[in-house]
Amino acid sequence: MDLFFWEIARASGLAAYAALCISVLSGLAPRTQALSFLANNRAVRALHDWTPWIVIPAALVHVVALLLDATARIGILDVFVPFLTSYGQLAIGLGTISLDLLIIVLVTTWMRRRFSNNAWQWWHRVSYLGFVTMFLHAMLSGTDLTSPVISVLSWASGIGIAYYALERLGKALNPSRIRA
Amino acid sequence: MKANSPTLPPIPARTGPGRPKKRSGPVPAWGLKLGGLLTTFGVFVSSFGYANAHLYVTNAPLQPATVAAVATTDTTAATTSTATAVPSTAQPAVTVTKKS
Repeated sequence: MDLFFWEIARASGLAAYAALCISVLSGLAPRTQALSFLANNRAVRALHDWTPWIVIPAALVHVVALLLDATARIGILDVFVPFLTSYGQLAIGLGTISLDLLIIVLVTTWMRRRFSNNAWQWWHRVSYLGFVTMFLHAMLSGTDLTSPVISVLSWASGIGIAYYALERLGKALNPSRIRA
Repeated sequence: MKANSPTLPPIPARTGPGRPKKRSGPVPAWGLKLGGLLTTFGVFVSSFGYANAHLYVTNAPLQPATVAAVATTDTTAATTSTATAVPSTAQPAVTVTKKS
């Protein structure tokens, strides 16, 4: 039974990574036209606003399965405070940081009306850091990333998102867009 | 000094002759949401199947001690395996000692 939770934790970790990729890509797409071959910006924006419904369950199942899996030895405190585990401190700690950042992004998004638009945008940019920490967490601790197919798919999606994030950054820093 | 030709109305920027038309895909919002849901669920199911088939990944960066212990007993029948209490970051989290 214990290995059942271990399998669930592994599968839900990859599912959470996939869901976060969809969320970040749909957030980048309206400015980069990354998904214009699929749909217009309004539909892509609707997808981005909806993605917490797939990211939260996947992340929640991953965390709960690790808590129930006795051999992983993850405690409640390890879920929220990084680098406390007795083994794999960096690999697991990066996952903890990504979960903390995910919570920050979700809470600030739900409280968006209480922030100015500029302040909310800065909070929302934390999601880029959250994606990077989750990617590193997956690479350093992912059991199934030893599979060439899963590794190639994970790297390809990570590189694709990095490409569109840099394109988005380039457009934001374009001097012609800065008002005099 | 005025020109004799009549003043033409300005050409709308969005429908100008030299402007390329941006065409976006036909998928509606609900289609994207369904695709996202099916993708995530598909990744979960296929990953669960893979994890079930490859329960003992000996070269995984982190692995529970019981997994490593079972993997060792499978491969070395004549040896006694003793799993370490805490999962290790090292490749095999098992110490093997031969019976004399």
